Amino acid sequence: MQPFALNYARPAVELEAAVPYVYDAGLQLNVLRDGRVAACDSALLREFGTTTSTAGSKTHFDD
Amino acid sequence: MTVLILTCEEDVTADMVVVHLHATGVPVVRVDPADLTGGVSLSGEYVHGRFRGHLSAGGRLVSIGGLRSVWVRRPGVPAARAAQPSAWLTEEAAQALYGMLRGSDARWMNHPDAARRARHKPWQLRLAQRCGLPVPATLITTFPRAAREFAERYPELVVKPVSGAHPQDPPRAVPTSRVAPDTDFSAVAFGPTLLQRRITKRADIRLTVVGERMLAARKATAEDADPDDVDVRFAASGSPWLPTDVPSRIAPGVLAYLREAELAYGAFDFVEDSDGTWWFLECNQSGQFGFVEVETGQPIARTIAEWLARPVPVQPSHVNGSDTRVR
Repeated sequence: MQPFALNYARPAVELEAAVPYVYDAGLQLNVLRDGRVAACDSALLREFGTTTSTAGSKTHFDD
Repeated sequence: MTVLILTCEEDVTADMVVVHLHATGVPVVRVDPADLTGGVSLSGEYVHGRFRGHLSAGGRLVSIGGLRSVWVRRPGVPAARAAQPSAWLTEEAAQALYGMLRGSDARWMNHPDAARRARHKPWQLRLAQRCGLPVPATLITTFPRAAREFAERYPELVVKPVSGAHPQDPPRAVPTSRVAPDTDFSAVAFGPTLLQRRITKRADIRLTVVGERMLAARKATAEDADPDDVDVRFAASGSPWLPTDVPSRIAPGVLAYLREAELAYGAFDFVEDSDGTWWFLECNQSGQFGFVEVETGQPIARTIAEWLARPVPVQPSHVNGSDTRVR
């Protein structure tokens, strides 16, 4: 009784790795521990894939 | 006037735009509707024929009449983090927040009504056809026989979710997957199934459009790529995303699509075949762009910031539907 498309499903990969930045409500930006703005660190964004098109997102499917 | 950004705190992609808005001195208020009624408060009154509304978040207070634009990025479910969340409270919070914002003169990226319609993949395919964009032969059906006949006509097929959503109980991903010609299609009867002719691709294309500005990126398919690796989101990362030009026969169709869809932003996915034809797959009305900017250096975040920062066009005042301008 399983829909056809689910024959091709695979376990979702959860991106639960802790990111090294926290939200600063004053700046309205996420900042690193040394105070730098996370969004200005391209290498970091690439490493953590937080800006990536992520199929399987729990909350959004506008990837 | 202020730019209102509706998104969650961890949305570092939104940060990329906020950085540009800060640099140009444009006031920004960032709100996650999930924080209603904790860290986010609202109030609006309709008195003497006028509306006055305010939003408060993170110690900032903004007048709804003072908004120049609203960017709906990755907002949480309204009131999801309330002390006593419930479906009823979510609906109440959503109606209050989005209902009041709908009454503002701010420009939207993207308007919720347009966004909701634009999420329907079958609607996207039809609109793309109408706009003259090449669309791979596609079938959406619950008839196993129709699926079998389609597979006979198009032996090279892929299957993908109709909605683009993925099941969460348990959490699974349903990538675009190749379907063998001799597949048993009987399970098509148990759920609408989207089958599409597989385009033998030489590249994936991500075309991000902000207003009328098009920023295209191309990721070449490796010559030794596994033909079963159809979905670029799941394939091993090989060649990088690189900036590319938009073919002259595609650009008008893309702009027509956004115009018809009433979208200010869209992230289009195409595949490029061996002839160089771009085949439309989908348009994500709130698609991610950070990964493209990080790899290509294209100024997508800055372009979004510039769009959001534009002044609100002067609206003629109306009384009971009549234009009050003096002619």
